[in-house]
Amino acid sequence: MTMYPLQAAAPERRRAVRISSAFGTSALLTMPACIVIAAGVVLPLAYMLILSIQTPDPGEATLTTNFTATSYVKFFTSPFYWSVLLKTIWVASVTTAVCAFLGFTLAVSIWLTSPRWRGLCVLAVISPLLVSIVTRAFGWMVVLGDYGLINNLLVHLGIIVTPLRMMFTNFAIVIGLVHVFLPLMTLPILTSLDRVDRNIPEAASSLGAGALTIGVRILLPMVSPGLVSGITMVFSLSMSSYILPALMGGADSGMMTTLIYQQFVVTFNWQFGAALVAILLATSLGAVALLIFETSRRTRRWMARR
Amino acid sequence: MMAAIQKRAFWVWSAFLYIFIVTPLICVVLASFNQESVQSVPPLQWSLRWYGEAIRNPNFVRGALTSLVVATVATIIATPIGMLGAFGLWKSKSRYKAAMDAFFALPIVVPGLVTGISLLIVLTAADQSAGNVKLICGHVLIVLPYVIRTTLASLAQFNPSLWEAAETLGASPLQVLWKIVLPIIRPGIVAGMVFGFILSFDDVNISLFLVDARTITLPISIMSYLQFSFDPSVAAISTILIGITFVSTLLLERLFGLKRLFAGG
Repeated sequence: MTMYPLQAAAPERRRAVRISSAFGTSALLTMPACIVIAAGVVLPLAYMLILSIQTPDPGEATLTTNFTATSYVKFFTSPFYWSVLLKTIWVASVTTAVCAFLGFTLAVSIWLTSPRWRGLCVLAVISPLLVSIVTRAFGWMVVLGDYGLINNLLVHLGIIVTPLRMMFTNFAIVIGLVHVFLPLMTLPILTSLDRVDRNIPEAASSLGAGALTIGVRILLPMVSPGLVSGITMVFSLSMSSYILPALMGGADSGMMTTLIYQQFVVTFNWQFGAALVAILLATSLGAVALLIFETSRRTRRWMARR
Repeated sequence: MMAAIQKRAFWVWSAFLYIFIVTPLICVVLASFNQESVQSVPPLQWSLRWYGEAIRNPNFVRGALTSLVVATVATIIATPIGMLGAFGLWKSKSRYKAAMDAFFALPIVVPGLVTGISLLIVLTAADQSAGNVKLICGHVLIVLPYVIRTTLASLAQFNPSLWEAAETLGASPLQVLWKIVLPIIRPGIVAGMVFGFILSFDDVNISLFLVDARTITLPISIMSYLQFSFDPSVAAISTILIGITFVSTLLLERLFGLKRLFAGG
C-alpha cells in the first residue's frame, strides 16, 4: 500500500484501477451471488423446461434425448385443461383489477395523510405481507366462514336468516389474493405520487375541478408508471399463487397451480407437471409483455401529440 | 358542497380499506383467546387454554425448531454472498450493470411455486434427498435478493467523498470498506437479514415441495393441521407468530423504513 503516494485528488481512472486491483474486479465480488442464482433458479428452470418435452413417465426425472410434445398436446386438446387455464386467468384478472382500484385510492389517501401518521398507514398496508400466508388464510376463514364474523353479524342484525356461503368459493380466493397483493399495488403508486407536485391538484381545484375529477383526470395519468408496475406484479403473482386457492377455494378449486401440485405430489407425472408450469409462466409473461408494450406505445403516442 | 361530500366519502372509503386490511389479523388474535373449541369472534369466554394446547402440540414444536434452524442457516449463508454481490454491483462500471441488477432480482420475480418445483426436480435428479439440505437450498434463494437490495439501497446513499477522505488519510481500500463503509451501511444489511429471515420463516410456496416427513416447517405443519381441524390452537400459534413479526417489523421500520424495502427508491 505504500506504493501509492498520498494524493488529494487522484485521477478518476487511477482510483478505479487501484480499487479493482485491491479487491479483484467487481465481477469477482458478484461471482458468488451469480453462481447461487444461476444454480438455484436459472439452471433448475431450464432443466424443468426440458423435462416438459420428455415422454411422460411417472416417477422419472432424468433427461433423455427423445423430445416429444406429448404433454403440450394433451393440455391443448382437452377442454378441461383449457377451462382451468381460463379460470386461472379470470381470477388473476379480477384480482388485479380490484387491487388496482383499491390500491390507487389507498395510495392517494396515504399521500394526503399528514407525515406524522404516514408511517403507521404504510405499516398497516404492508402488514398482510409480513404475516405467513397460512395465518392470513386462517384469518379469512374466521371472517368469512359459515359461522364467522360477517355471517354472525348479519344474522344478529336480522338481515339474513341462514348463513351466506362465502368460504370455499371463487369470491373467497379473490378476497384473499386482493388482501395480500394490495401492498404490492399501493406502494409503487405511492412512490409515483410522491413525485407529483402538490400544487397541481390544488390548481385543478381552484379552477373548479371536483375531488373525483382531480383523482381520475389529474392524478391517475400521473401515476401510470407505478400503476403498471403494480399491475405487472399482482397479475403474475396471482397467476402463480397456490396456497390461497388451495386453502380458501376448497379441495378442487380448479386453478392451474392446484393442478400442478397434483401432478408433482399426487400422480408423480412430472413431465406433464413441468409442461403445466411452462404454460403458466408463458401465459403470465405474455400478458405482462402485452401490457408493457401497450403502455409504452400509448406513452409514445401521447408524447408525439404535443 | 359537492366537493365536501366527495371528500367525506373518500375518507370513509379509505377507513373501510384499512378495516379490510387488518380485520383478518385481528380476528386471528381475538379467536386465540377463546375458551370453547369452536371459533367465535369475539370469544364468549376468554381464556389462554389454546396457547397451552398449541405449545404442547409436538408437530408445532418440531416445526418451529425446523423453521428456526432453516431460516437461521439460510440467512447466515445468504448474507455474506449478498453483501459481496451488492458491493460488486455498486463498484461496477460495466454496461451490463442494469442487466446484473435484474438478474439479482430473479429469485423474487420467479414465483415461489416455480422455484420450489424446479429445485425439487433438479435435486431429485441429483439424488439429493436430505430434507434439511433441500430446504436450505431453497431458503437461501428467499433471503439473498433482499440482502442485496437493502445493501445496495444503503450504498446508494453512501457519500463517496468519505471514501476519498479515508484514502487521502492513507487507508487501504480494504480498510475503507471495513472501517468506514460497513458501519455506515450496517442498518441496511441488518434490515435485509431480518426481512429475509421473516420471509424464510413464513415461507410455504417454496418449502411445500422441499419438505419431507422429518423436516416439516411450522407454516406447513399449521397448514396440514388446518386441513383436518379448525380449533383455536391454530389461532394461538398464529398469534404468537404475528407478535414476533410485529416486533421485528417495528425494528425494520426503525432501521431502514419499510417503504424503501418494498418500493425501492
